[in-house]
Amino acid sequence: MATITALKNPATVAPLDSYNSGHYYCELIGSRDERNHNLTALWHRLQQLELEQLRERSEDAERELFTLGITFTVYSDRTAIDRILPFDVIPRVITATDWRKIDRGVKQRIKALNLFLWDVYHDRKILKDGVVPADLVLGNENYRPEMVGYDPPCKTYIHIGGTDIIRDPRGDFLVLEDNGRTPSGVSYVVENRHLMQRAFPDLMQGFAIESVSEYGSQLADKLMEVAPAGIVSPQVVLLSPGVFNSAYFEHVFLAREIGIPLVEGRDLFVENDCVFMKTVSGPKPVHVIYRRLNDDFMDPEVFNPESLLGVKGIMRAVRKGTVTLANAIGTGVADDKAVYAYLPRIIRYYLNEDPIIPNVHTHICREADALQYTLENLDKLVVKPVGESGGYGICVGPKATKAELDLCRDQLKAKPSNYISQPMIELSVSPTLTDDGVEPRHVDLRPFAVTGEDTWLLPGGLTRVALRKGSIVVNSSQGGGTKDTWVLKEDFA
Amino acid sequence: MSSLLSRYAENVFWMARYFERAESLARVLETQTSFQRGRGGDNSWAWIVALYSDEKTFAKAFPEPTAANVIRFYMAHLENPGSIQSAIRAARENARALRPMMPTDMWYQLNDFYNRLFAFGPSDFSEMRLSRTCDAIKRGCYAQVGVAENTLYHDETWPFFRLGLYVERADQMSRLLDVRFAQQQTGVARDSGEFDYTFWGILLRAASAYHAYRRVSPHHIDPQGVARFLIFDSKLPRSLSYCLGEIQAMIELLRRNFALSHAAAAASQVEAMISGLEVANKDEKLLSRLHDFNDWTQLSLMNFTEELSQAFFGYPRPAERPAPPVLGKSETQMASA
Repeated sequence: MATITALKNPATVAPLDSYNSGHYYCELIGSRDERNHNLTALWHRLQQLELEQLRERSEDAERELFTLGITFTVYSDRTAIDRILPFDVIPRVITATDWRKIDRGVKQRIKALNLFLWDVYHDRKILKDGVVPADLVLGNENYRPEMVGYDPPCKTYIHIGGTDIIRDPRGDFLVLEDNGRTPSGVSYVVENRHLMQRAFPDLMQGFAIESVSEYGSQLADKLMEVAPAGIVSPQVVLLSPGVFNSAYFEHVFLAREIGIPLVEGRDLFVENDCVFMKTVSGPKPVHVIYRRLNDDFMDPEVFNPESLLGVKGIMRAVRKGTVTLANAIGTGVADDKAVYAYLPRIIRYYLNEDPIIPNVHTHICREADALQYTLENLDKLVVKPVGESGGYGICVGPKATKAELDLCRDQLKAKPSNYISQPMIELSVSPTLTDDGVEPRHVDLRPFAVTGEDTWLLPGGLTRVALRKGSIVVNSSQGGGTKDTWVLKEDFA
Repeated sequence: MSSLLSRYAENVFWMARYFERAESLARVLETQTSFQRGRGGDNSWAWIVALYSDEKTFAKAFPEPTAANVIRFYMAHLENPGSIQSAIRAARENARALRPMMPTDMWYQLNDFYNRLFAFGPSDFSEMRLSRTCDAIKRGCYAQVGVAENTLYHDETWPFFRLGLYVERADQMSRLLDVRFAQQQTGVARDSGEFDYTFWGILLRAASAYHAYRRVSPHHIDPQGVARFLIFDSKLPRSLSYCLGEIQAMIELLRRNFALSHAAAAASQVEAMISGLEVANKDEKLLSRLHDFNDWTQLSLMNFTEELSQAFFGYPRPAERPAPPVLGKSETQMASA
């Protein structure tokens, strides 16, 4: 009978049989020139699964996400449609060596960003020294004059940070963007792991990978640390815009993991410059607010007067020091696209260190050399206006027509300070289950950093994957999905 | 000191009410299928519309109270806030707001139930299959309450869950007791010995009380006995008396274990209802005054809910009180009745 068990259905395809990552860096097998032998074991294990089996288990996993309500909710007039964020079952793996570098690199950036924010809202030395142009900061729409002179506990402004990192074809990490306002996605990191543990215990067995379950307790500690001085057992709450917000599931997840009430603006009020929440036993003081609400909506007294989501008078309480907001108001000035270009210099200015993870090489066109270089290489570069968001006004050199390039050149010459330029970015790929089998798809990585007195990083982070062939857009709104992200405790090779 | 958000207390109270409401609706619809079987195909469904005073809303949606229309209206008509699907959807919206407090098991169960309920199609609502569908809904609701009992953290959230459950159950019991009146109003009911026997037997079954009644009173089913059993029996988990006892116990729990002393007004409201019940227990002609008694019950429960809203849910005193966000249908109708 042995022959029968040895017989393999000739139609059976091993998942990675026709996998080819081309010239991109592959998160499983490495670059074209240099293979990463750390993950050979995982490769073989994936190869033992049959494609159909992989697909079935993937469908089970997605069904489970749906029943667990790990969903985005899209509301229309009468219906509430729950949609899951697509989940790819093939994990993205980060070696211990790579992770050490990311860990140090992100901590360095967070440290520099917090020092920068303190400086901007106090002495403005970096502006006076001409390292960052003052108009870029003080004229920024995310600059909040209300924060001038306010001293946040631990001098921390960005308590929760998300840093978007990509990997170029040589395998080098680059920072694409800092998110210092209300970065989202951490719930998927933890839920994806739980899902993998249930759906693919055989795939995970024998791999020593870092746990992701500590996030809640670490965040709780950090939020306690930044409570106003003299409060012994601070009441921490999470402020959500409410059930209609598309990220509501994540707010719920966080409130549960930290063990704090999820409140809405209507649950809070300010009296004598102190914040209270309405409970069944009456008003109860609140000391730290992890807010998932943009600056604009926080206080109708100071910002958008139409906001019903915020808390009237809360900025008075903040300035009095009776309550701490995480993140602080006004951090948007540090994660701005224009300020991003200066981040390497900001790091050197405050820390006297080179960036551990470099930026995507960025030319600041208000500077003569950079402008000249950009004009000479327009057809190879991506030119971005600094003030715009959402991809508006971008000129992608290699794909632009002659007329478009001419227009771009004229605009650059007319107002160089409005532009930066970058080379075309190339994201690494990761094997991903698609309708056509397992194929390379582009991924990025968003590690999450929580900061009180010091900074802790959740091992791994959110791996977003562009599910459309050839696409480098990983956003969930545009066909992006997520993967479980494994950080190896120790490298094999 | 309790730090339960007022909003959560309100959500948990209403979530439980909606579970109980869906279950009771399923019981009432099932009752009609029993009537049809029991009485050779008397297929008037209009009394259900009368029972919930839904004549106006119903007329807007459907021309005639045919079986198919009434079933549709109470099962799946989302414009009817009192339909089973509406109730479970409202329960789920309350649950969504409560999600930070809720064990995953409970949320999982609810999503599963919700997805099954909304996957029901026309064939599940046909008269042929109605009984089976109602049964599935009842079981879904039992599971909901069971998973709460088994997994919900029994802090001060718990008494609010139980309060919602028993306030709604008492309200629905008073409606079940009013079925006869609704039938007479719509000209269905005739008075005959055999009819009564069947009717009260069906009512007992609708309240899952048939066998309990048989054990207490093995010899015969008489209207007086059944009504009194459903109202006053202290061991029947759906009787009015039992429900009020639970409500009182939960208010006591809030006051004693969680030091919520401002429950006093709600407590005296319950005491008044229990005294009212004692008075009714001595009334030999209760059966002839049953409709008025049912009205009194429903109004008292409405007042009690208002007391709770003011004491715990953060509602201001009357006059300036806005309508609650997820107001129970029965209450608004009682107010206009």
